[in-house]
Amino acid sequence: MSLNDLPRLKLENLHLAQGRRTVLEHVDGDIKPGAITALIGANGAGKSTLIQAIMGELRPISGKVTCHVPAERRAWLPQQLALDLTFPMSVEELVMTGSWPSHGALKGYCAAHYRKGRDIMARLGISHLAHRPLGELSGGQRQRALIGRTLMQEAELLLLDEPFANVDSDTVDILIRILRQMADDGTTIIVVLHDMDHLQRLADEVLMLNGGHARWMAPSALHQQHMPAQVVPLTLGGRHAGTA
Amino acid sequence: MLELLNAWFIAPFDYGFMRRAVVGGLALSLAAPPLGVFLVLRGMSLIGDALAHAIMPGVAIGFLLAGFSLPIMSIGGVLFGLLVALSAGVVSKMGGQREDAALASFFIISLAAGVLLISIGGSSVDLTHVLFGSILAVNSTALLLIAGISTLIVVTLAVVFRALVVECLDPLFLRGQNRRNGWVHSVFLALLVLNMTAGFQTLGTLMAVGLMMLPATAARFWSRRLEGLMAIAVVLAMTASTGGLLLSFHLDIPSGPSIILLAGVGYFFSALFGRYHSLAAKLRRKTTPLSAETSM
Repeated sequence: MSLNDLPRLKLENLHLAQGRRTVLEHVDGDIKPGAITALIGANGAGKSTLIQAIMGELRPISGKVTCHVPAERRAWLPQQLALDLTFPMSVEELVMTGSWPSHGALKGYCAAHYRKGRDIMARLGISHLAHRPLGELSGGQRQRALIGRTLMQEAELLLLDEPFANVDSDTVDILIRILRQMADDGTTIIVVLHDMDHLQRLADEVLMLNGGHARWMAPSALHQQHMPAQVVPLTLGGRHAGTA
Repeated sequence: MLELLNAWFIAPFDYGFMRRAVVGGLALSLAAPPLGVFLVLRGMSLIGDALAHAIMPGVAIGFLLAGFSLPIMSIGGVLFGLLVALSAGVVSKMGGQREDAALASFFIISLAAGVLLISIGGSSVDLTHVLFGSILAVNSTALLLIAGISTLIVVTLAVVFRALVVECLDPLFLRGQNRRNGWVHSVFLALLVLNMTAGFQTLGTLMAVGLMMLPATAARFWSRRLEGLMAIAVVLAMTASTGGLLLSFHLDIPSGPSIILLAGVGYFFSALFGRYHSLAAKLRRKTTPLSAETSM
């Protein structure tokens, strides 16, 4: 096993509670670099609780989370509603904030930073929106800008909470492609999903939360178990690349 | 014509007290509005009021110990303000109560304690002075203190600017990075307390908030960019503080209220005629439906 294959994130016999109520018990798992893990489960099954624990927000009752990703390379993209959309900021400025954790408070940006920001916006098909205020974006455009920020951050651990909710299908295609590229570059991605179609297109592994327990499974197994046979489109949105 | 201009705008500054007052007002106008802009953006517009009251007991204790000495009263104010901000933070973390609820409780206690303490040790004139300030009584020591505090606020704000922006926009983004947002919030509250302390001599504890909030809320009608908001707010505050002083000089009315009321006129004007979200902008918008893009 080479160093690169070592799990970036290790969950060991986790016992998590909100207040006095146990939410999850006996959660184990190694999450390898470059894998996209889908986190599924009904409302209240403990998806957010698990994410809080992984981000170090919630201290486990017992067991532990070991994370080998430096803090400035961890990114957590909450559901869109958590963002203040009236904040006076442009798309480009939002993307550039991704470099702040590693760049520090005082240093100015150099041309290379701006170039990187522009490249990222081009990859996401939002170059034409660079100077548009956040408040005027559609759900899909906003989600692309937020993913742009995590690209700018060079995130090595990325947690996404329902990134495809309220998002148009072109954006879904682009985001799935970008997330796959990030994973191929070694980013560990955990994504909360509800839509089986998205799950089949994106996930390498599935962690299903149900009744206080977690179960690992392959996406294909889930497909057979829960879904009627259906054709899942396998083209990952190349058609729409660079358009918005 | 020139004579009239001279009589209205230049001649009043032949007086030393007017010169000191205008410099103090301009210094405050540089430091307070950017803080106000952040308060508005964070949806914490009323926190400024709460903290303004929070410094009262400290000011009062300073007053009881050393009489009407601005440095001592200011130190007392800063210490007590920080104590209240800190306690409110602790209470909100402890009991699941939101920070604004905790601050609301603390500030009203502080106000009562402050008024009581000053009444015990001084006259109603002293109380009026603390509550409403007297910018025309600013002496050189007070001016140095105000300028020093304003400088400190502007420099610190520049240092924590990026972190503050990220925290406003998306607190979780910073919290993902080892909860470094805790200190950002504390530094911000400390700056607010400092600003209130600088403001109470000139405008009084009750009205110092005005120079911070009114320009910031008015600026929202003129710009959709953070830099724009801050620049406009500073210009509005400077105009209001200088104009208010001149009005108070010529019309022989109290200086604090005339400064704040002038800022208030600016606010109403902006709400009616500003570029964005004002009444005029809403009326204009009906005639240009193509540019009226929906945000969701």
